Amino acid sequence: MTRRIVAMLTLLLVVAAALGIYAWYLHRKVKGDEERLRQEQQQVAAPASGPQATVTLYLASDANATLTKKTISIPLPAERSEQARAILRALFGTYLQSGSPHPIGAGADVRDVYLLSDGSAVVDTNLAFADAHPSGVLAEDLTITSIVATLNANDPKITRVKIIVNGAERETLAGHADLRRFYLASTIAQLAKELQ
Amino acid sequence: MAPSRRGRIAAAGTLLAFAGFLVLRSAQQTPLFAQASAPGLIAVFSAQSVYTVPVLQVGAQPYVGLVDLLEPLGSIETKVNGKKLKLYFTSAGNRQQQGDFQEGKDTGKIAGDKLKLAANFVLQNGRGYVPLSSVPELLSRLGLKPVEYRPTSQRLLIGNVSERYTAELKKGAPSRLLLGFPAPVNPTIATEPGRVRLTFKRDPVVAPADHVKYDDPLITGATFSEHNGIAELEITGTAPLMANFSDGGRTIIVTAAPGPPPTQAVQQLPVPAPQAAMALPQPAPQPPPRPRFLVVIDPAHGGADIGAAITPQLPEKDVVLALARRVQHELQAKGVAASLLRTGDYAISLDQRAISINAARPALYIVLHAANTGTGVHVFTEMLPPENIAPGGLLPWDTAQAAFSDLSGSVAGSIAAELESRKLPNATLPAPLRPMNNVAAPAVAIEIAPPGGDIADIASANYQTAVAQSIAAGVAAVRSKLPEVTP
Repeated sequence: MTRRIVAMLTLLLVVAAALGIYAWYLHRKVKGDEERLRQEQQQVAAPASGPQATVTLYLASDANATLTKKTISIPLPAERSEQARAILRALFGTYLQSGSPHPIGAGADVRDVYLLSDGSAVVDTNLAFADAHPSGVLAEDLTITSIVATLNANDPKITRVKIIVNGAERETLAGHADLRRFYLASTIAQLAKELQ
Repeated sequence: MAPSRRGRIAAAGTLLAFAGFLVLRSAQQTPLFAQASAPGLIAVFSAQSVYTVPVLQVGAQPYVGLVDLLEPLGSIETKVNGKKLKLYFTSAGNRQQQGDFQEGKDTGKIAGDKLKLAANFVLQNGRGYVPLSSVPELLSRLGLKPVEYRPTSQRLLIGNVSERYTAELKKGAPSRLLLGFPAPVNPTIATEPGRVRLTFKRDPVVAPADHVKYDDPLITGATFSEHNGIAELEITGTAPLMANFSDGGRTIIVTAAPGPPPTQAVQQLPVPAPQAAMALPQPAPQPPPRPRFLVVIDPAHGGADIGAAITPQLPEKDVVLALARRVQHELQAKGVAASLLRTGDYAISLDQRAISINAARPALYIVLHAANTGTGVHVFTEMLPPENIAPGGLLPWDTAQAAFSDLSGSVAGSIAAELESRKLPNATLPAPLRPMNNVAAPAVAIEIAPPGGDIADIASANYQTAVAQSIAAGVAAVRSKLPEVTP
C-alpha cells in the first residue's frame, strides 16, 4: 500500500515536472514569436529607387519642444506622391533610430501618400505608427507638425495634409492630437518657424 | 485488473496536476476585480470638496480606493513595497499621518495604532483598496471628524457639513411650506400635478423626519428619501404646487401654482369671489440669470481610457484628476468659481465632453493632461486660425474655438508668466486637440511632464501644488479681460 502511494506521488511529480517544462517551452515560444514580430516591424522598408536628391526634414525634439531643419540626401523617385512617401520614410527612419530625441513607435511606416489636385495630401500610415506612438499632447503635436512642415518644405504645392491610419480615419493619433482634420501647411509653417 | 487501476490512478493524477496548473495560471492572469459587479459610486461631502468615489466589489464586499477617497481631502502620497503600502496623508489643520497596510491582511496601522478592517486590504496595480464599511473609522483616525456614512443613500458626510433643514407650514389662502436650510442650496425642482420634488445632488441635506403629514387643505405631506448619492424631498398637495427660492437660496417656499389664464378660468371654473381672487398669490417675477465667471476644469481621459502610462503603475488619468482638484482648490481660494468636468475614474467621450462644457457656459475652459515626454509644463492653445464671428452668431462645431483665439492666447500667456515666475520650465504652443476645438469659450490645455529626471515627481504634492498655484494666479491675472457669461 505504502509502495503504491510512493509510486503514485512519484508519478504525479513526474507529470508536474513535465507540465512545467512544457509551460516553460510555451513561454519561450511566445516570447520568441513576439521578438520575431518586433524585429519584422523594425525592418526598414526597401529604399526608394531614383537619383540622389537633397531633401529637407523638420526634426522634432521632445526635450525642448523644438523643430530643427536638416537637409539630407536620399534616392528620390520621379513621381510626386512617391517622392513624398520617400521623404516621410526618411523622416520616420530618423525617429526610429535608437537615441532619437523624438522617438516614435517601432515599425512605424508610411503606406502611401495621395496627392489631390486641390493641394491636399493624404498620408496613409500603418497601424504601428499610431498604435505604438508615445501618448501625450506635446509628442503627438510635434509629430504632426514635423510631418506637415517636412512635406510642405519639399513640395510647396502641398497646402494641407490629413493623416489616416491603415487606410481609415482615426479620431486621435495616440489619445490627444486630432486626426480627423486637414492641417493647413501655412499654419504649420508658421508654427515650425516659431519652434526652431 | 491491477494495471488498469494503476492506469486510472495515473490518468486521474495527470488530470489533477493539469487542472491545478490551469488554476494556478488563470489565478496569476485574472485581475482581482474581474468578477466585480457593476461598479457604484458613493457621494462624498466635505468642507473642501463634493465628489464621488467609485465602489468596487471584491467578492461580496464593497471596496473603495484610498487615493480616490483621500486625494480631495488633503495631500496624499503612497509608497508600495511588495505587498505593503505606506500612506502619508495631511489634511487641512492636521499634521501628517502615516498609514501602513498589507495585502491580504485585515489589520493596518494609523500613526502606529492598530486599525481593524472589515475585510482584507487589497493591493492591485500599485493602488490600495479598503472595505467601504471601514471608511468612517479610517477617516476618523486620520483626523477627519466627525464622519457619517449613510448607507441607504451612499452618502459620506465628513466634518460638520450636514445641512438639516426645517419645515414650517404657514396656513392661509393659499398655505405655504417654508423650508429653511443652514446654507444656500441648489436642488433641481420637478413638478407633477399635486407634487413638487426637490433633488439635492451637491448639497448634504439631511431631514428632521422622513415622513411628515400636514392637516392642510393644500399641502398634505412631505417625504424625504435618499438613494444613489442623492437626497430627495417630495411635497404632496391637493392642487398643482410650485417652489420658489428666497433668502439667497437658504429658503425654499412651496405653495400653490398660479391658476390657468383668466379666459380659461372663465370657461372652466365657477367665477371666484372677488376677495378670493385678490388673495391669490402673484407668482414672483423670476430675476433674469446674472452673468457669472465660471472656470470648467477637465481632467482628461478616465475609465478605460487611461491616457499615457506615465509609469506602469501611474496612468495619466489619475495624475490629472489629482492636479485638477488642486487647481480647483487654488482657484476657489482666489475667489474664482471652478467646477470639475470629471470627479472620478469614469470615461467621458470627446463629444460628451464638448457638449457638457458648452452647456455649462464657462468663462474659461482648462483641460489638463500629463505625459512623460519632455520636462516641465506645456501650455497649449488650439491650432486653429483665428476667425471673426459676429457676436451671437452660430459657431461651426469643429472650429468653435477659433472665435476665442485671442482670449485663449491671453490666458496661456498669463499662465506661462506665472510658471516662469515660479521657475517652472514651461513652453507655450498651439496643438490640435479635441474637444478644445469644439469649445465656445476661451480655452487652454496644460500638459505637465516631470519637473526633472525623476518621472515619479510628476505626482508629487509639491510639484502639483506649484503648477496649480501658477494656473490659478494666471487665470486671476486675466480675469478682468474675460467676459462673464450668463448661464
